[in-house]
Amino acid sequence: MRKIVIPGDLLTDKPLRILDAIVEDNKTYSTIIGLYDDEKKSLIPLEGLWYPNRDDVVVGIIEESKLNTETVILNAPYKGLIISKYSESHMSSGDFIEANVKELDKTGTVILTRPKILHDGKIIRIKPSKVNRVLGKANTMIKQITEGTKTRIVVGLNGLIWLNGGNIDLAIKAIETVCKEAHTSGLTEKIGTMVGAPKQPNQKISKETETKETTENNEKTEEEMI
Amino acid sequence: MKGNIELIKDGKRLDGRLPGDLRDIKIKTNVVKNAQGSAYIEWGNNKIIAAIHGPNEALPRHTANPNKAVVKCRYMMAPFSSSEEHGRSGMNRRAVEISKVTGEVFENVILLDQFPGTEISIYIEVIQSDGGTRAAGITCAAVALAASGIPIKDLPFSVSAGKVGETVILDLNKIEDNYSDADMPVAVLPRTKEVVLLQMDGSLTKKQYTDAMALILESGKKISKIQRDALISQYSQ
Repeated sequence: MRKIVIPGDLLTDKPLRILDAIVEDNKTYSTIIGLYDDEKKSLIPLEGLWYPNRDDVVVGIIEESKLNTETVILNAPYKGLIISKYSESHMSSGDFIEANVKELDKTGTVILTRPKILHDGKIIRIKPSKVNRVLGKANTMIKQITEGTKTRIVVGLNGLIWLNGGNIDLAIKAIETVCKEAHTSGLTEKIGTMVGAPKQPNQKISKETETKETTENNEKTEEEMI
Repeated sequence: MKGNIELIKDGKRLDGRLPGDLRDIKIKTNVVKNAQGSAYIEWGNNKIIAAIHGPNEALPRHTANPNKAVVKCRYMMAPFSSSEEHGRSGMNRRAVEISKVTGEVFENVILLDQFPGTEISIYIEVIQSDGGTRAAGITCAAVALAASGIPIKDLPFSVSAGKVGETVILDLNKIEDNYSDADMPVAVLPRTKEVVLLQMDGSLTKKQYTDAMALILESGKKISKIQRDALISQYSQ
């Protein structure tokens, strides 16, 4: 059974290695506000921060363009850095980009690779803990919003979302609703009705490929639109 | 400051409370949109907003610690928060002191080693004050921290105790604070009963101190429950 836990709550009487939990006196305690599943011994954060992991898809804004590096604002404790040998196109300050995380270096800078410039459009910021809900299981949620609003959307795991074309206002409203009601059930149907999208069949896709697929799907959608 | 005001009459305090009673406490979370996490508390006549920013890159860079995050706390009273002069010309000595001790409370609570080289900012803004704002501020900031998703090992609560004559009282308001014989704000981690803040004006005997701590720990159960309810209520339908 799932229950909401707050920092300092006892999870189990045994010392277990659970993400976002600490072990003290051979007992495991939560350090965040989250949903704890006693059978699976898993803690799902309801609020949380983004930790850079290799191959994460992120959306960012170019802060400064120097001779062969660009610094990127990522909505995270650390700044992003693009080294020119990893990029093909020239970027200038203020550009929106989509990129993959290569590594987090010792000085606390996120090295990015494969940057792509996202032309026009706008960026919104959501809490990184809500990103998985915005994507939905097997990307169902984001597919619905993309198809219903005909907006091209790129979701960064860092909590920045880029949108362009179509009914942007409706797409933003839908994403905000998902974030607001992330802990409730039956949300996919609700958003489906809101944006007027056809129902999606469920597919099982591993978590890592989710965001990449989202991007590809969005590109297809745009091609279809053209 | 001692005066001729009779603070306890027929066993009751000026506002009708018994010596061991708390004032009414209400907490609301996520009141500020652009902060990482925030909370608003109404503790009697105190009204306080606490907001959390970060973890961000520590600025100026020399303040950064490569092994852990630094906590920067700012406690400020709004110029209109009380009848006395406050905050019109920036932080005064009192605000600097409270900012320091509050920051130290949270240094003991946040898992700082997870964010090396960054800073976590805690802002406590007192909108209306009626005594015990540092305790209310810490209680409120703890909720804001939990709401922000920054990992903390426990949810601290804080409350003050003091004495009027020989009677130990809990949760002093402005008049009691000014005219009582002792005032002792304490912050505690409820799980381990670890004391993370203890300051005192005036003096207490050993027995009075023990009684005061017992009152504080007892009232802590109520405060912790209010904090928990505030955090969980945002997710209940």
